[in-house]
Amino acid sequence: MSYAYLFKYIIIGDTGVGKSCLLLQFTDKRFQPVHDLTIGVEFGARMITIDGKQIKLQIWDTAGQEAFRSITRSYYRGAAGALLVYDITRRETFNHLTTWLEDARQHSNSNMVIMLIGNKSDLDSRREVKKEEGEAFAREHGLVFMETSARTAANVEEAFINTAKEIYEKIQEGVFDINNEANGIKIGQQLPPTNSSISGSGNQGGQTNGGCC
Amino acid sequence: MSSLYANLKRRVDSVVNPSILSLESFASPILPTSSGGRGSLRPKFQYSRPVFLQLWTSDELRASADHNVRPIIVPRDIDVLPFQTGYAECVNSGKSEWNEDQAGFCRKVLSHPSEPFTELPYTYFGIFDGHAGVGAALAAANQFHHILHEKLVDIIEMLLPDSDNIPTEKKSMIFQYPLSFQKTVTKEELIIGALESAFAEMDAMLAEDRTKYRNAGGCTALVTLFIGGKMYVSNAGDSRAVLCQRKDGVAFPTPFSFDHTPDTERERLMTTGKLNPALMANDYVAMEYTKRPSKRDLGQRTLYKEGSMKGWAYKTLTPNDLKMPLVTGNGKRSRLLGTIGVTRGFGDHDLRALGSGILIKPFLSCHPEVISRDLTTVVSIPDENNEDGDYGVLIMATDGLWDVADPEAVSNTVFKTLDKYPTEKHRYTMVAQELVAKSRGRVNSSGHWRLADVEAAATVDDISVICIPVYQYYKQWVEWEKENQEKKRKHEEELQNRTESMSSVEIALDDTDEVALSDSLKETNLEETPDEKTTKENEDIPERTEEDTKEDTKPAKKKGKGKKGSSSSSSSTC
Repeated sequence: MSYAYLFKYIIIGDTGVGKSCLLLQFTDKRFQPVHDLTIGVEFGARMITIDGKQIKLQIWDTAGQEAFRSITRSYYRGAAGALLVYDITRRETFNHLTTWLEDARQHSNSNMVIMLIGNKSDLDSRREVKKEEGEAFAREHGLVFMETSARTAANVEEAFINTAKEIYEKIQEGVFDINNEANGIKIGQQLPPTNSSISGSGNQGGQTNGGCC
Repeated sequence: MSSLYANLKRRVDSVVNPSILSLESFASPILPTSSGGRGSLRPKFQYSRPVFLQLWTSDELRASADHNVRPIIVPRDIDVLPFQTGYAECVNSGKSEWNEDQAGFCRKVLSHPSEPFTELPYTYFGIFDGHAGVGAALAAANQFHHILHEKLVDIIEMLLPDSDNIPTEKKSMIFQYPLSFQKTVTKEELIIGALESAFAEMDAMLAEDRTKYRNAGGCTALVTLFIGGKMYVSNAGDSRAVLCQRKDGVAFPTPFSFDHTPDTERERLMTTGKLNPALMANDYVAMEYTKRPSKRDLGQRTLYKEGSMKGWAYKTLTPNDLKMPLVTGNGKRSRLLGTIGVTRGFGDHDLRALGSGILIKPFLSCHPEVISRDLTTVVSIPDENNEDGDYGVLIMATDGLWDVADPEAVSNTVFKTLDKYPTEKHRYTMVAQELVAKSRGRVNSSGHWRLADVEAAATVDDISVICIPVYQYYKQWVEWEKENQEKKRKHEEELQNRTESMSSVEIALDDTDEVALSDSLKETNLEETPDEKTTKENEDIPERTEEDTKEDTKPAKKKGKGKKGSSSSSSSTC
């Protein structure tokens, strides 16, 4: 499918806060209770519509472990949006937000839209971080805030789409230099509707090559 | 094997039924267009990353080739690669649309067609650095292991663990040469030969594909085969394998391959040029001078080298000496025919020299240099402080890594990283990732890639790294061998018991039953001479016949198997 814009996102935050699960819920609409540790980076993509325009989100899901921090830093550069995630049932993941934010601000382009996400809202009985605390942190640092649940899908769509709306508005205001791909925004190719196969997602093409064993 | 057939079927289908082409059409708009005259042909393999990375969608492929960020990709599921082997890669900074490196691995078991429990597992890893397109590297990553497997199957009878004990008359049956031509051939030579001939066949396959598929370009090939407790590293090109070990806590590298560049292969190239001047079409001269001669030097004497000369000699300069030298430049910057900087590998059948337009392929070689290591002779007990012992960690990487990292630095990084992650299952993946990260460096404010510690330029090339803990292979091999011996022993015991009980039953059988009669005759004959050697032969006979019939039902018969089959059927008529 052709798109008007492609926005690049990066998902960051401590290990185990549910970054990969948020991505899976958003792209595949499913929840995987046991998820392997992410090593390096994984990619997801989905098409959304804003203001009647098709927008493709390309999402980079990063490893949260401290060991990967220096490599993850190099991925901020090309992102237009970031989801900074903490786990409402683990206080320390909230306490680390400042470090994450400093990292993101230092290594990204200044216009990057950052969405603060308190994940695992379905586990209210085990909550360690009040919603008000998240809101206060977001207000203080000029972020958008939302509590989500990758398990129940609550607010997951909204988190990704609201971030896109902010980016879209910034484009309309002329804040983003959309001709520089390093800003994480790409203008879609003006293709005739018949040639729409270019960005067909979910194609299992790689498997047909067979490879081995 | 099945995927080979699937590919073959697809190729046949696409000729018979061109509509099959639509299967791959999704990728074609984003594939690089061929610069060759046969741009209308489709590529043989659509662009993809190594299968074990599991980047299935075109979105993932697109994201992985982000030239601005150059993400470091590691296997999503680290258990896919054997022996906890690590892998990491990253795309170039924009010199080509796609990552032109490719990688593959394969684990298979070679089994004897007629003898149960005589099996031999092997594992192969390959890394291919493509140039002038993604086609050749993709073909190698998808097909080389099938070719290698065929070559190993061809020599299976000589490779299997017990073949050292094959009596001489059987051996001569295998070779079928007149006695005067017989040579003693070792297993090692057979495996090296299998690798060498597989390289030749891969290159020939690319030559054959030229008329059927889009111009594939070329690629280097670095292949490591683990078989029978030994490690064989074969290289054609400028990727490199280095074994990293440590002694008393100090890391040190041992090279397991040598680069093939115009500089390192000067002698071979100049000899080729000297013996076949027609290949240079009057445009080049196969000589090396201490100083490149110019017009005003004509008639003067200068030091020169030609062909396989090791030293320098004087000659008087003639107009012929003013032509472009076959090899120009030095080291990594050297060029063959002013065009290419790597002199061995697959493909490049259509590559022409810049300027003159002559074909380069006759100067290139697909022949690998094979270096082996017998792990059974390593005396080392890996311990907590040194889990890899003297077996070491084998790093295979494309020149993207080595351009900015020397083997010493690499082996230091290997052990520093392993020490950082002493117990993690993905520690070798972390090593590969760390090595790629170091050579890739980071972008500075003006958009240039720089190394982290020094302000030197980082590599702008594709980088791929395979990190193999050799001891993990050896451990598995020893365990497997033990188990196999045990299984074999049990099987032989069972056979022995069955033979004893069956022979007493068969004697009582109806005499009109011909098959049973001949069988019982055999058994009774053996009963009469319970000599150990004949008993062993007898054990073989029923098994062979069984396997033989199995073989006949298979559509594609292997050469070796067929031969064995015919010999066993003749033995069963006794």
